[in-house]
Amino acid sequence: MNSVVAGITYRAVLGRRRVLLLILLPVVLIGLALLLRAIGSTDEKATVTLMQTYAIGTMLPLLGLIAGTGTIAPEIDDGTIIHLLSKPISRPVIATTKFMVAASMLAVFAAVPTFVAAWLLIRDEAGIASGFALGALIGGIAYAAVFLLLGVVTRHAVTIGIIYAVVWENLVGGYVPGARNFSIQQWAQTFADQISTSGFFKASVGMGFAVPAVLIVTIGSVVWAGQRLRSLSLTGDE
Amino acid sequence: MSEPIPAPAPGPQLMPTGVIHDIGYRHYDGPRLGRGHALGALTLHSLRGVFGLGRTARAKIMPFLLAGVMMLPAVVSIAVMAMIKRPGLPYPAYAVTMQAVLAVFLAAQSPYLVAPDLRFRVLPLYLSRPTTTGDYVAAKLAAMALALFLLIAAPLTVLYAGELLVDLPGPPHTHDYFAALATAVVYAVLLSSIGVALASFTPRRGLGVASVIAVYLLSSAISAVLVGVLMSVSRDSAATWAWLINPFFLVDAVQVWIFGTDPNNDGGYPSGVGGPVAVLAVLAVIALCVTALVLRYRKAASS
Repeated sequence: MNSVVAGITYRAVLGRRRVLLLILLPVVLIGLALLLRAIGSTDEKATVTLMQTYAIGTMLPLLGLIAGTGTIAPEIDDGTIIHLLSKPISRPVIATTKFMVAASMLAVFAAVPTFVAAWLLIRDEAGIASGFALGALIGGIAYAAVFLLLGVVTRHAVTIGIIYAVVWENLVGGYVPGARNFSIQQWAQTFADQISTSGFFKASVGMGFAVPAVLIVTIGSVVWAGQRLRSLSLTGDE
Repeated sequence: MSEPIPAPAPGPQLMPTGVIHDIGYRHYDGPRLGRGHALGALTLHSLRGVFGLGRTARAKIMPFLLAGVMMLPAVVSIAVMAMIKRPGLPYPAYAVTMQAVLAVFLAAQSPYLVAPDLRFRVLPLYLSRPTTTGDYVAAKLAAMALALFLLIAAPLTVLYAGELLVDLPGPPHTHDYFAALATAVVYAVLLSSIGVALASFTPRRGLGVASVIAVYLLSSAISAVLVGVLMSVSRDSAATWAWLINPFFLVDAVQVWIFGTDPNNDGGYPSGVGGPVAVLAVLAVIALCVTALVLRYRKAASS
């Protein structure tokens, strides 16, 4: 961790239009929760639907994409990363710092609103609120690491990221059960299932697979991103 | 830094020392093709760029990969028709089934159309020619709309050709095919105006991609959550309205109302006033996006 790099990264991500998207997504989640309250469907099933479809299925990957790539990809894109890389700071430390920033932003913009939305609907009945908040937190950390790595590896990080999130996790994962094993949002649901006792919610990936998968993907991505930064090429393709 | 040029000594006896040499620059005396031609050229250039033609090999991967994925159901359907003599994917359902792919294509390619020109501040170069801001916006919108139309219409046409060749028992679904083609125009215009308008608000490509896909995912997730919850409390008529939040189902509702095709969702669309409302909603969204685009470029051109 390097506090100066962290400060610069926070300012870069929160000071631009990017922050509007980061705020919009959780605001819509809270708004949906309030709407469901207003039409009187404050039961477990509605809450689980909201959490699975919106909080974990849509908001988490999008926030991970915006925060994960946003911490490093714009700098690589316009070449200002060279000022950072030319300082006597080890490149893995830079990668770790940027990952920490992205992960902390996901905790604030994804995990906390997830808890608030579920709590608005059913308080902490059947552990749904705390379960999905934990799932969003862990899934958010994994997404932050993976999308940070993508941002370092390719200029088309956001496009490849949405193909992973939309086509692989949502489209292929919807039809092919095996694909769900390699989907971060399914791992997030596995963690949510550990705390939640709701009968309407069943994770499709076992804990024995999800824990090592999250650990390997997160640590592996951050380490790889650090190694990759050591030999970063700035010559772009367009 | 050069030394300051000494002021010429006053006096009529000094001859001027500077000479302008004629080094052969010539005026252009040929025909000028004018504004319409410039508009056409910019549209064609943008359309080629959307598919990566005239750009690097890397820029071609994504559009052609997605176009290939769009073709898959058509190929599979033809195989199904030929092997087991059963009708494949119906034409009116094609775009709705492939909505994720279309959304990814829109998100990935619309920032290319507008972001580089804004980022490198080359807009004044376009506007120093007969092209106006309106022309520029029209060309970019037309390019994206044409690209999306090709993306939907090509697999439909292949599928229709396949159906005619396989010659299943019963008449071919010609009405469905033309209905789907007409709807493809609506999809193309609606989606391209949303995508290009959103992408034009940021000069950064990555953020443009993220905001276009975020809007699609937001609308589809909100619609899915509301439909799921409303159906589970048996307020089915309210649920049929909730489908319309997703732009793809909104256009599908227009298709159902105008052409009388089968709805491609669970539970159908609101009956009665629902169809006209869907048409009005589509027109309103297009008008809103085009207005936003024109205002955006008026501001960008003056700055």
